[in-house]
Amino acid sequence: MTAAGKGDRTGPSWMTRFWAVVRYELLWNIRKKKFLGVVVVAFALVTLSLALPVILSSTIGESVGANPDYVVTSSIGSFGFFLFALVTAMNSISGEFESGTIVPLLTKPVSRTMVFLGKLFAAFTIILVTYTVLFVYTVIGGTVVYGAQNNLHLVPLTMLGSILSTFVWIAMVLAVASISKSSLIAAIGGLGIFLALLISAPIVSAFSSQAWVLTYVPGNGASGTLGAAGPINVTTTQSVATGTDGIGANLGTFVLHPEANVTFYRLGIIAPGLPPETIALYTEPLSLVLVRSIIVALVYIAVFLLVAWFFFKRAQVLE
Amino acid sequence: MDLAIETVDLTKNYGSLVAVNNLDLQVKRGTIHGFLGPNGAGKTTTIKVLVGLLKADGGTVKVLGQVVRGDQPDVRLNMGYMPELPKFPKHLKGWELLDIYGRMYGMTEQQRKEQIPKLLDLVGLKGREKDLIGKYSKGMQQRVGIAQALLNDPDLIVLDEPSLGLDPVGMVEVRELVKEVAKGGTTVFLSSHLLFEVEQVCTHVTIIHRGVSLASDTLQNVSNMLSGPRILQVEVAKLSESTLEAVKHLTFVVNASRDGNVLTIELKTRDDVRSQVSQEITKSGGVIVSMNLKGQNLEEVFMQLVSKQQEDQAK
Repeated sequence: MTAAGKGDRTGPSWMTRFWAVVRYELLWNIRKKKFLGVVVVAFALVTLSLALPVILSSTIGESVGANPDYVVTSSIGSFGFFLFALVTAMNSISGEFESGTIVPLLTKPVSRTMVFLGKLFAAFTIILVTYTVLFVYTVIGGTVVYGAQNNLHLVPLTMLGSILSTFVWIAMVLAVASISKSSLIAAIGGLGIFLALLISAPIVSAFSSQAWVLTYVPGNGASGTLGAAGPINVTTTQSVATGTDGIGANLGTFVLHPEANVTFYRLGIIAPGLPPETIALYTEPLSLVLVRSIIVALVYIAVFLLVAWFFFKRAQVLE
Repeated sequence: MDLAIETVDLTKNYGSLVAVNNLDLQVKRGTIHGFLGPNGAGKTTTIKVLVGLLKADGGTVKVLGQVVRGDQPDVRLNMGYMPELPKFPKHLKGWELLDIYGRMYGMTEQQRKEQIPKLLDLVGLKGREKDLIGKYSKGMQQRVGIAQALLNDPDLIVLDEPSLGLDPVGMVEVRELVKEVAKGGTTVFLSSHLLFEVEQVCTHVTIIHRGVSLASDTLQNVSNMLSGPRILQVEVAKLSESTLEAVKHLTFVVNASRDGNVLTIELKTRDDVRSQVSQEITKSGGVIVSMNLKGQNLEEVFMQLVSKQQEDQAK
């Protein structure tokens, strides 16, 4: 037998080992039934959102009107980001411990840090490819249904923003999975945190004067209204989410309206029986909202990944 | 002394349970070293420390001359490891797994193309390499385990219960494979709870029980550790009183008795005296049907050492 040869060998380069880990992880991800299921559901939802207006219009005998901004304003959405994050990350580390496959993997000449980074890079690749295919599908479908689309050059930018949003959730799920070494706890824990934020954010945003707090938590954050630069009362109806999930959409909006402001409101109850009053809280430049959400996302990603790495590095393999 | 594995005062605890207790282990290069002990003796824990899956709580560990302190990938570059009942990703095909592991070892495409089919053939998986591992039986996964441990043509191969889950034919094949691998100069460290497996394959043996090393030497020297008399039982056709008397007069015989056609001879020597006894019986007109030497068997040594340890602990 002659492989690398006997004796004191010089190890393979860092990159060689790293790509081997990435390959290992990629093959796992693309063959995961859960992942394939989510991709199918995502395509089905995109198809539905494209076809539904056509179907509804045809039932009343009208044709669908042109919408040149369909593609740049469409998004996978918070739940989409979370679902993709969940299926990519929930058993990436904990699944190896649960199945016992971690034993042969960690006894190969690859460090735990390299295994961790390889898994992370594979997750990034999978999300990048999936989102690219989904966006291309949306562009083709949007053009067919709604006619020629404007600002398609913004699609890669909004897609990168979406990947950043997704990575906040990936990092969080990885941290829970790495600490618990349980895919179930990672899934339930991640879903619990996601739903808690999803439900509480609009309530806090609408009824409290402390909406600014939401700019520092993962998810949709506070909801503001886009307005032109200037006085607080010059607003549009376009909603802006300040949280980490709004980065993609906000990037596109910022390129189109670099001077825009975002105004935040809360609902005030005047008296029983009367409709609630909209009370303006404060106005911020969109650029500030965007930069802050990117920094918040990067900080969350860094902290969660550091926690995940720390626990993975220290894990004793008892299985 | 050129050692492949060396541990000094190795200790590993799981909470209050001492799994490995001040273990001193020396495995010479080029030997087939058996690591023998009952289930729960601390064999797998020791091995997991050697390969970097567990961190020792005390003592030092050296593998192939390099000190092991946790996760050190370069130490594993020259060693192969087959875990007890190995589990591999079910979504990978047999050859894909070996190909990816080969890349981790830095094997070139050419080396992988040559080595992987050879190994698949060697472990009897030729023709099944394109099936997903999820479709493999336990025995087939065990064979993949052996193949991946040999992938990098290691200087040291650590096999943790390699026969577990294999059918009798597979067990024989593994034993032959181990001997073959050792012929190429690879040190084999074989953990097993099967005495006959160690006896048939190993040149050296360490007996471990409750995390403590009870004996460690060549197989022959450990077998000779047995205290008390050795007994030679001989079944003789036409057994006569003159044969019994002739045997009793041999210088190395303490006593001899008969029960029907079976002659039981108590020996005072640990040398192999079967040929002398055989000659004496034949000379006196007896015809030997079978001969069985007791007290040189690893199983008996093992049982005696374990009993002694239990008695010592009870005191």
